Amino acid sequence: MGKVTPAPAMGPTYTTKPMVSFLRWAARQRGNVLAYALVAVAVAIALVPYFWMVSSSLKTMTNMFRVPVQWIPDPVNWRSYVIAWHAQDFPRYFLNSGFVAAAITLGNLVLASLAGYSLAKFRYFGRGLLFLLILSTMMLPLEVTMVPLFLIIKRLDWVNSYQGLIVPFLIDGFGVFLMRQYMLGIPKDLIDSARIDGASELRIFWQIVLPLCKPALVALGVFTFREAWDMYIWPLIIVSKDSLRTLPLAISLFMSSYGTAWDQLMPIAVLGTLPMIILFFFLQRAFIQGIAITGLKE
Amino acid sequence: MSSAVHAESHTVRRRLRVGLAAKQAMFGYAILFPTIAILCIFRFVPMIQAFIISFSKYDLIHPPQFVGLANFVDLVQDPLFLNSFWVSLIYVVFSVLPVWPLSLALAILFNRRLVFKNVLRSAVFMPVVMPAVVMAVVWTFIYQQDGALNTILGWVGIDPIPWLRSSAFALPAVILIGIWRATPYYMVIFLAGLQAIPAEYYEAAEIDGAGHWSSFWNITLPLLRPTTLLVMVMTVIVAMKVFAVPMIMTGGGPADSTRVLPLFIYQTAFEFFDMGRASAMSVFLFVAVMLFSVAQIRIFTRGEE
Repeated sequence: MGKVTPAPAMGPTYTTKPMVSFLRWAARQRGNVLAYALVAVAVAIALVPYFWMVSSSLKTMTNMFRVPVQWIPDPVNWRSYVIAWHAQDFPRYFLNSGFVAAAITLGNLVLASLAGYSLAKFRYFGRGLLFLLILSTMMLPLEVTMVPLFLIIKRLDWVNSYQGLIVPFLIDGFGVFLMRQYMLGIPKDLIDSARIDGASELRIFWQIVLPLCKPALVALGVFTFREAWDMYIWPLIIVSKDSLRTLPLAISLFMSSYGTAWDQLMPIAVLGTLPMIILFFFLQRAFIQGIAITGLKE
Repeated sequence: MSSAVHAESHTVRRRLRVGLAAKQAMFGYAILFPTIAILCIFRFVPMIQAFIISFSKYDLIHPPQFVGLANFVDLVQDPLFLNSFWVSLIYVVFSVLPVWPLSLALAILFNRRLVFKNVLRSAVFMPVVMPAVVMAVVWTFIYQQDGALNTILGWVGIDPIPWLRSSAFALPAVILIGIWRATPYYMVIFLAGLQAIPAEYYEAAEIDGAGHWSSFWNITLPLLRPTTLLVMVMTVIVAMKVFAVPMIMTGGGPADSTRVLPLFIYQTAFEFFDMGRASAMSVFLFVAVMLFSVAQIRIFTRGEE
C-alpha cells in the first residue's frame, strides 16, 4: 500500500531535532484530520439513503409524509413488513429473481471457464479471431439489441418464460475474457504431465484447472449474480405474466400502480436489497475484486 | 535396416503427435462451441437484424416493409429524437465529469493509513450494493417535496426544490443518482490501480523532498494513466446506457426532460410498436457505444502485445 511517510518515532530527526519532528507530526495530523473529515462526509452521503430507506420502511403511512420529516420512526411499525410481504405475491417474485440469477450465474461460471480454458490453453485454427469475436460482443449492450433480441425470443416462443429470461444471458464476453486471462497463468507443464498420466481432457479441466481458478470463479460468480439480480429492462420487455415477474420488475410495477403505497414499497425495497447486502457481507473481497477487475465490463 | 525401422517409428510417432494435437484442437473447439453459439444467436444475429429492421417499417403485426433510409431521415428531423439525443448527451457529460475526480480522490483517501479503513471503505461502497430499481424507488422518495433531501438542504438555507416535478430539476436529480452510484464503483478500480504503484517511488520522492502534490502530479497521475483512461471510457459507456432510474423515477418527463436515448428506444419499440424507428435509434446508440468500446478494449489489451 502506498504509505507516504514513515512513522515519526522511526525518523532519526526525532532525537536530534524534536521541534521539527513535532511540527511534522502536527502537519501530518492535520492531514489526517482532513482525511477523516472527508471520509466521514463520503460515508454519510453513501449511507443516508440506506438509513432513509430503513427508517421509512418502519413508519406508518402518515408518519412517512410528516412535515417536518421524522428521522427515527415513532412508533416503530414492524407490521408494515408483514403487510407488504402479502400485498402481492412477493415471495414468488423473490424466488423468480433468485432462480433466474442463480441459473445465469451458474451458466456463466461453467461456460466462461470452459471457453476461457479453450482460448488460453489450446492451439487451433482461428483462435485469435474467435477471441476477438467474443470480446466484441461487449460492444453490444442490451440497450442496443433489445428490439431484435425481443423478436428472436418471440420467434422462439420464449416470451413469458424462464428460458427467455435466462438463456440469452448464460454467457457474457466479460466472463470469458476474465477466465482466459486467469488461465493463461496456469503452467502448461501441469496440464501436460496430467496428460502423460493418462487423464482425460475433461478430467484435467475439472480436477486440475478449475480448482486453481477458484478466486476468479468466486469473483465472476458474485459479479454475475449481482448483475442478474439487478436486471430490469429485459424482464420489463418479455414478461407480462404475473407469475414470472422478477423482483425489480415487481417493485417498479408496484410503484407505478396503486398510487404508490409507499408504506409497503419501502419494506419491499429493504428486502430486495438484503440479498445483495448479505452477499457483500460474506464475500466482500470477491465482491470488490469482481469490480476491480471489471475493466472491460459495463 | 535399423535406420528404416527408426524412420518408421519416427513417422508413427509424428502421426501420433499430429493425431493428438488434432484431438486436443477438437476438444478446444468443443468446449468453446456453446459460448460461440449463444453469443451468435443472442448478440450477433440481433445486431445484424437491428440494422435490417432499421431500414424497414415494422409494427409487430403487419409484415416488415422495406423503406430504405426513411427511418433515419425521419429521426434527424424528429424534435423528440433530437431532444432525447441532447438529454443523453447532457446526462453523459454531467454524470461522468464529477465522477472522475471524486472517485480518484476517494481512492487516494483509502490508499492511506486509516483506522477502521476496511469498515469505512465498505460503507462508502454501499451505493454499488443497492439494486438499481431499489435505488430509483428510494431516491424518488428522498426527492419528495417535503422529503429528506429538501429537509437537509433546508438546514443550510436552501429553499425546497421541486426535484422530479420540474423540467429544470428532474435531469439534475437523475444525474445526481448516477454520480452517487458510480463514484464508489470507480473508486474500487482506482484503488486497484493505486495499489499497483510501487511504494518505493513515493519513498524516493520523499527523500528528494517532494511534497504530496508534487508526488501526486509526478508519480500518481502518470502511473495511473491506463486506469484513468479506462475509467473515463467505462463511465461514458455506462452513462450512455442509463435506463432504470429515469424509467422508474420520471418515465422520461416532465416535458421530456429526462427521456434519455435508451428510454426513448424502449418506448418507441414497446409502447408505440415502431420497431423500425427504434432500431434506427439503436444503430445511433450502437455507433456511440462502439466508438468508446473500441477505445476501451484497446486500452485493456495493450499490455498484452
